[in-house]
Amino acid sequence: MPANWGYVIAAYGIAAITLFGYWRHLTRRARALSARPAAKTQAA
Amino acid sequence: MTRVLGWLAALGLLAGLAAGFGYAPREAVQGNVQRIMYLHVPSVLTAYLAFGLVLAGSIGYLATRRPGWDRLAGSAAEIGVLFTGLTIVSGSIWGKPTWGTWWTWDARLTSTAVLFCVYVGYLLLRSLIEDPDARGRYAAVVGILGAVNVPIVHFSVKWWRALHQPSTILGPEPSPIDPAIGLALFVNWIAFTLLFAYFLSRRMEIARLEEQT
Repeated sequence: MPANWGYVIAAYGIAAITLFGYWRHLTRRARALSARPAAKTQAA
Repeated sequence: MTRVLGWLAALGLLAGLAAGFGYAPREAVQGNVQRIMYLHVPSVLTAYLAFGLVLAGSIGYLATRRPGWDRLAGSAAEIGVLFTGLTIVSGSIWGKPTWGTWWTWDARLTSTAVLFCVYVGYLLLRSLIEDPDARGRYAAVVGILGAVNVPIVHFSVKWWRALHQPSTILGPEPSPIDPAIGLALFVNWIAFTLLFAYFLSRRMEIARLEEQT
């Protein structure tokens, strides 16, 4: 059986990008929502 | 608590990588490509856990009408879809060098694709309904019906002739896995469970903030 490292790297690479991307999405969304009441207060 | 979970998940993932690539031996038949198992199997077990929580949250919401149950179900479904997607992609990449094809309409693969589509539909349904109570009720019905597919996915390799191998863990017989490979798999499963708990905690907090705005 050949080493097939390319497949292994592809699978782990896609997983890393996907999980990191979701973590970033959650972080940005939480930050945006937390900032919203403060913005309202400032506007008021 | 969420921050601690995040750090534990990060440490767990590092330990999982060390176990999968450093500690576990090269598999005798498949070679290094078998190391995709340390990603593929924990992903599907995490998806099972997520959809189990969707079921619990759905039943809880229908019984009590408390928004917390709906937040649990909706958040777990989103993360479950993420991990089901990873399961399908990693399985496809593993399938090419071992089966000679990226995809085949085998019972396990097909039922997993159906599972993915059902919960994508669940998330679409949630996004289409404005009223929180109606959204919670309709989503709960889909969440309960969708959970029926989880045992179908798991036992598909037993019930139908499939190209996919039978269960090597979570089966009725003792696992035939080499102890070193089994330990690496266990470490990765714990790491993925911690990552799921971290994502769930953050996603539920976001859902709570969304309800307030």
